[in-house]
Amino acid sequence: MDYTKQIQEIASKLFAEGKIDVFVGYRLTGFDENQVPVLIRDQKDVSQLVFNDRSVFNLVNYLKYEHTRNKRVGLVVKGCDSRSLNLLLTESQVKRDKLYVVGIACEGVVDEQGNKMQNCMECVFPDAIVADEMLGTPHEVRKYKVNADIDELASKGLVDRRVYFEEVFENCIRCNACRHSCPLCYCAKCCIDQETATLYNGANTTSGAFHALMTWSLHLAGRCVDCRNCEKACPSHLPLHLLHKWNERVIYENFQEHLAGVHEGDRGAFYKYSMQDPDDFIM
Amino acid sequence: MARVGVFVCFCGANIADFVDVPKVVEEAKRIREVKFAIDYKYMCSDPGQQQIRDAITQYRLTSIVVAACSPRMHEKTFRKALSDAGMNPYLLEVANIREHSSWVHQKDKKAATEKASDLVRMAVAKSIANEQLHEISVPVTKRALVIGGGIAGIQAALDIADARIPVVLVEKSPSIGGKMAQLDETFPTLDCSQCILTPKMVDVASHPYIELIPYAEVLELEGFVGNYKAKIRKKASYVNFKTCTGCGTCWQKCPVKVPNEYNMGIDKRKAIYTPFPQAVPNKPVIDAAHCTMLTKGKCGICAKVCEKGSIDYKMQDEIIEREIGAVVVATGYDLWDPKPYEEYGVGRFKDIITSLEFERMVSANGPTNGVPVRPSDGKVPKNVVFIKCIGSRDEAKGIEYCSKICCMYTTKHTILLHHKVHDSHAYVFYMDIRAAGKGYEEFVKKAQVDTAATYLRGRVSKIYKKGDKLIVRGEDAQIGQVVEVVADLVVLATAVIPPKDNPDLARLLGVSYDKYGYMSEAHPKLRPVETAKAGIFLAGCTQAPKDIPDTVAQASACAAKVCGIFSGDTMKKDPMISTVNNEYCTGCQNCVKVCPYGAIVTEEVPMGHGSKEMRTVAKINEGVCQGCGSCVAVCRSMAISLAGFTDLQIINEIVSI
Amino acid sequence: MEAVANNQLVSIEKPEIVAPPNWEPVIIGILCNWCSYAGSDLTGTSRIQYPPNIRIIRVPCSSRVDPWFLIKSLQTTADGVLVSGCHPGDCHYISGNYYARRRFLVTKKLLNFVGFHEDRIQFSWVSAAEGPKFAKVVAKVTEDIKKLGPLHLYKKENFEK
Repeated sequence: MDYTKQIQEIASKLFAEGKIDVFVGYRLTGFDENQVPVLIRDQKDVSQLVFNDRSVFNLVNYLKYEHTRNKRVGLVVKGCDSRSLNLLLTESQVKRDKLYVVGIACEGVVDEQGNKMQNCMECVFPDAIVADEMLGTPHEVRKYKVNADIDELASKGLVDRRVYFEEVFENCIRCNACRHSCPLCYCAKCCIDQETATLYNGANTTSGAFHALMTWSLHLAGRCVDCRNCEKACPSHLPLHLLHKWNERVIYENFQEHLAGVHEGDRGAFYKYSMQDPDDFIM
Repeated sequence: MARVGVFVCFCGANIADFVDVPKVVEEAKRIREVKFAIDYKYMCSDPGQQQIRDAITQYRLTSIVVAACSPRMHEKTFRKALSDAGMNPYLLEVANIREHSSWVHQKDKKAATEKASDLVRMAVAKSIANEQLHEISVPVTKRALVIGGGIAGIQAALDIADARIPVVLVEKSPSIGGKMAQLDETFPTLDCSQCILTPKMVDVASHPYIELIPYAEVLELEGFVGNYKAKIRKKASYVNFKTCTGCGTCWQKCPVKVPNEYNMGIDKRKAIYTPFPQAVPNKPVIDAAHCTMLTKGKCGICAKVCEKGSIDYKMQDEIIEREIGAVVVATGYDLWDPKPYEEYGVGRFKDIITSLEFERMVSANGPTNGVPVRPSDGKVPKNVVFIKCIGSRDEAKGIEYCSKICCMYTTKHTILLHHKVHDSHAYVFYMDIRAAGKGYEEFVKKAQVDTAATYLRGRVSKIYKKGDKLIVRGEDAQIGQVVEVVADLVVLATAVIPPKDNPDLARLLGVSYDKYGYMSEAHPKLRPVETAKAGIFLAGCTQAPKDIPDTVAQASACAAKVCGIFSGDTMKKDPMISTVNNEYCTGCQNCVKVCPYGAIVTEEVPMGHGSKEMRTVAKINEGVCQGCGSCVAVCRSMAISLAGFTDLQIINEIVSI
Repeated sequence: MEAVANNQLVSIEKPEIVAPPNWEPVIIGILCNWCSYAGSDLTGTSRIQYPPNIRIIRVPCSSRVDPWFLIKSLQTTADGVLVSGCHPGDCHYISGNYYARRRFLVTKKLLNFVGFHEDRIQFSWVSAAEGPKFAKVVAKVTEDIKKLGPLHLYKKENFEK
């Protein structure tokens, strides 16, 4: 999977035609084969752009920042990224007519060690759902698979899970990198930073992390697209995907197979309801 | 620093017997913010309230906690006490130590006292975060819109207009009158329908407070209670109503014949027509689908014969806008098409008709001059079989519910048949006879004796033709045998269903509707007239099948509700509603999606102070918001807060236990 | 662990936590104003007795209940939470409880996933006429929480009552 040439050509053409002000893509870090996001503002810099299976980050995240606001943006999205873009469009955060989306029929990306990312192995929608132009051969829609980590953890006992997550919460340093790297965390002021929420828990404590991570994962429940930007950003290497994947599974199994950002105009699972929702857990 | 006053009530012995009230007071005094705490025998009594009023001024209290009975009982009383003392009434919190402590923990005084202290502490913590709130007053446009000009709409319009409130009555067809105008006589008193209805129709037309817009439909309704804006499309009638005298020359001369809807298609009307002789307004309209002048450009006879020159073939639909304060929906009902009853030969045998067709035949102004005839050969039938529950109570083919009126009108039909054709005999196949209503059972009993009709309990399985007769085979469950009746005419009592476009209208109005398409009332028992959308009311069959007395009663109830809204120039509203903090709002509009009342809209605000760049934020319409808090819980950025139940208030309660 | 005598109550989630003698759980009940709060009032007027561990908070509708109220409750004062609203279809605000139901299920499952027993957070539909049901629900929740033992969620380290 290497679309470096095609993407360079597309970006170059878009700049030449004056269709975009900025192009969001990937470039090499400069010291190894890994990649970092890059914002290209001029046609002459287009040669920096690369795309291959090391293009891991979800670039939709850059649509929430000042650099791209009210600008015409060219953007590369993989399957998972396009779902988060779909949600941003639904939640009126970006305007479709200001975007030029290069969609990728993604074969899966690899982590820094070169192993295929776990979320790619479980990916349901590898092809970009929102796109002006597609690169690669489209895949057939796959079946939803329950995450292996989740299965393993869920089968453990309550006490084991408690011990496991207590360590997770303990190791959180509340740097908020997860939230900044998440394309769907675009609030002007996060609720976790607001006075009411911080009133009765200390900032950098286990309890504070518990509150912050729980609230965060509930705000992303039914919206998270499993791009794992948060996990890549986390300096403590916390298994943040576990919370999201668990919610995703609960929502998929209970709420009519809801998956985030799959359909245009489909909001998160908490913003709709069905008469068939389970009721048996309520007395 | 907050200064809270705590007032603990003995409630005679109700609280004091099971809760150590002085201990609760003592515990309350230990809270830092509590500057004054006292107990009293009956806090709700006048001396009790006086203590609150005195303490407010004496101790410069900033909020009040009354520990007594449920806030659902006396919250209003104590709020009034606060405002009498010049304090904002919403600075009150009630700790429910009677229903939630003394009455439910009567065996454990220590635990009950502890719990009461906790409840007081929670109330104190909450009250510290209480804000001064002020009743919202919403201006009101004193004009009502009535949609539908059947008996429900007529009654509602007249009742509202009699209270000197202007009414706009919109009717879909060229004349008001609705289904009732098609009826011959009405159960249980056999009044002539025309005789009791037409005077009301004339009243509508001549009432100074009623603006009648016939041949029109509502296109849009925007706004909220007291402040709706309605867009109404008046369909082109091609006749200038201002100059038309209603002389009738045009339709007498018109050469185009069309099945007459008023007579259920039994006879023909012209392409230019008044629906029926007593129509209000009694002015003809041109049926654009059939008029050859409008479809092919040939004819023009009506324009030639009209002495007033009222015919205008170039007339266009007209959009009328009205400002409205409240809406009464009275769109009535339709009848179910019995086609799925193939085994009865519906559609194949001409002599199977529906009840409304029968009604038109026996009507004095009907197509057959009041005598029922067989559609196949025009002969007067002798043996008539009436079959009830066609479509009603039939999950497989029709609908699950009972249509409510069929039992009674079928009984009426047996009487009418007996009156019109003396030597006839009626057979009635029925499932149950449901005759609940004033004088209904007596009516049915008397009819059974007078007409000597044969009542057969059971369903008809098949109808087939033998010569020119129809053989109706059914089961008589009372003797447990299959019976066959030779019939000249079969009358099907088809189910009542909502008009096909009811869901569309409901969506347009923002009212919910059920799976059948009937509009939903706010509460099936206690708010049967209101919809969940404030200022929109339901009358008649638009809500559920109803007979005329019930419909009229509901229409009058609607009128009373509308008059209630219009009783002042402004409406007072509880201030416990949501507000948006623009600074935090991201404009994701999930709240818009979740709000059950459509109370949330969006607005554009500058990006920053003095910035020209705009961004979208949510805006809550305080006239519409009912204060449920659904939007607050879905707002991830905590930009929305619900007055009276803010996040801070609830969290304060949680952490203070 | 071994030091805990058989008759002593230990927390199911953290077995090293032992309940102090005469430990009574604190349960927060968040009730909707129109059905469950009215129902709990009816329990009172009918003088139906139930365990005194519950502390009731009134909200207009179960849809007002943000999941982080539940998290916050467990984090600070409560050993268990009960949220109660109108039966499906009876919501005073038309559809509030349907939205609430979705959030409740996910919150309950998520808390269970990170190691809290499912019974720490419970839900019920109690109508304004169901006074006896409310008493039964409270009795069941109290009994369940008593079985689970005290909840110890890092509370001592940063929050003092």
